[in-house]
Amino acid sequence: MLDPTTQRQIELFLFEEARLLDSGDFQGWLKLYEPQGIYWMPSKPGQTDPLNVASIIYEDHGILSIRVQRLLEERALVLTPMPRTTHVVGNIEAEPAGQEAGEAAFKVGATFICIVHQGDKQTLYSGRHSYDLVRSGEAFRIKMKRVALMNSDATHAPMTIPL
Amino acid sequence: MIEPHALDIPTADDIRGLVRPDHVHRRAYADPAVFQLEQERIFGRLWIYVAHESQVKKPGDFVRTRLGGHEVLVTRGEDEKINVLINRCPHRGARLCMVDQGTSRLFSCPYHAWVFKPDGSLSSVPHRQSYPASFDLNDPINHMQRIKQIQTYRGFIFATLNENPAPLLNHLGAMTEVIDNLVDRAPDGEVEMGESYFSVEYRGNWKLHMENAADIFHPSFVHASSVMPARKAPANASILDQDQTREMLLANGFGFKEWEGIQLNGLPGGHAYMTNIYSNGVLVQKEADTIATQYRAALVAKVGEERTAEILGMNRFNNIVYPNLIINAQYQQMRVATPIAVDRTLVRIYCFRLKGAPDEMFHRSVRFLTTLGSPASMIFSDDIEMLERCQQGLSKDEGPWVDFSRGFDSDRRDANGMLSGAASEMPMRVQFQAWLNYLTAEAA
Repeated sequence: MLDPTTQRQIELFLFEEARLLDSGDFQGWLKLYEPQGIYWMPSKPGQTDPLNVASIIYEDHGILSIRVQRLLEERALVLTPMPRTTHVVGNIEAEPAGQEAGEAAFKVGATFICIVHQGDKQTLYSGRHSYDLVRSGEAFRIKMKRVALMNSDATHAPMTIPL
Repeated sequence: MIEPHALDIPTADDIRGLVRPDHVHRRAYADPAVFQLEQERIFGRLWIYVAHESQVKKPGDFVRTRLGGHEVLVTRGEDEKINVLINRCPHRGARLCMVDQGTSRLFSCPYHAWVFKPDGSLSSVPHRQSYPASFDLNDPINHMQRIKQIQTYRGFIFATLNENPAPLLNHLGAMTEVIDNLVDRAPDGEVEMGESYFSVEYRGNWKLHMENAADIFHPSFVHASSVMPARKAPANASILDQDQTREMLLANGFGFKEWEGIQLNGLPGGHAYMTNIYSNGVLVQKEADTIATQYRAALVAKVGEERTAEILGMNRFNNIVYPNLIINAQYQQMRVATPIAVDRTLVRIYCFRLKGAPDEMFHRSVRFLTTLGSPASMIFSDDIEMLERCQQGLSKDEGPWVDFSRGFDSDRRDANGMLSGAASEMPMRVQFQAWLNYLTAEAA
């Protein structure tokens, strides 16, 4: 088990991420990622293979930055009106995962609920986050975030804001 | 769900009144009675793609899908034959199978435990002695209802509710070329459906998606929000996919100049395809592409240089098999648009593995699937937004006519069908001509 201070720092880091997404600060959100960091939303429960099995999203920083620019771009049709979200993160459990280039690394699990409001539509997403985090001074950076939607293999309407 | 008899089904004259050479009435998209007629005369009479053989390799393998108004199971029987069965227990009418695919030697109804074989025949009922002496396990009335007409073309399984259909090959016509091309691209001469696919539902009529797939005009407008950031992004910033995603997003930025040379082809029966698409810098193969080079060598080793050049030379984007199948052979992609209601459509998006090709070719195909077909796609989500906005507008009475006149004066006709430039709405006119013919045809 982690010491309470580190545990609390990690919790606050996850809350910060949720707040950045909810406030539409997608550039700020992207800065939480390592330069090679990956965001992965599988299309199947228990999916381990991102190459032979299609993912809803499997993007590294280079592609995520295009996605973020698109979110901030005026002409993204699916984003008019701009969706508003409430990201709720809970049940945060963190454990040490050794060292990454001299910095402490952590594995973090959490549950999430996200409600997306757009025009007169409300969509509810829920599932489980898994993070690989590394220390970066006082803060952390995301090496990998895996978003396991409870209904990853269901029929979906278009998704817009990262969960 | 509205029962058919609850609606006044449009007459042939009503339908003729909805289609002009260059305009279509909004009722074609928004009237539930027209939808009911489509279900009967298009999805109930034409050959409809239901599954790929690689999904049902062994006896007991099944996939669940739709055919017209029915939910069906496509199964491989113990005799190795393909069956298409209505997913309903003949006893009390309960839905039998509640998953989209799997393997099961027996389908058992949980209600009163009637048990069926993969060919739909009744295998057993518990407490046989309480059924009348005349109750016959072999009577088809006690079997899962079979769709009788099933035909397969090179692994692609089609079925029809039409009891007396013309052969599948008549319906496919020249569209067999794209199925051939997809399969021939595999060095081992066989494709296998990838295990993952996407199901995306939108609030709009099914025809909107089929028109959009034939529409070269819209990408530079609708997809500007992903083209612009992709243009600003540095090349090779991504380590995941050799820049494939960025290049796919960029490819939608083609405009008037790149349209030159693209040709649209419309065929009788409502089919359409576009040629000369991967040229002029639009997703053209890079010189130093080691994966493509390895793949090409694998194909040459099996079929020779000349045949390889011919196969890889087929340069098309979407190939649209009427009414609801879209195939892209270059990237081994396939879409099926299934009408759920007049204003609801389910799109399933699949990709294939070329057997005998390097694994990385399949990874590219999977990547293509995610980039273009995921619910979080930066491309498809904007398409869907427009389809839904069209449906919202078309569901109102004002302005009853939809304009399909672009290119009307410059379309050409040859022995095979219609030809036009990239900017033309010819494919939509061809689709609606076929629609008109199918809906007004009296006998099956």
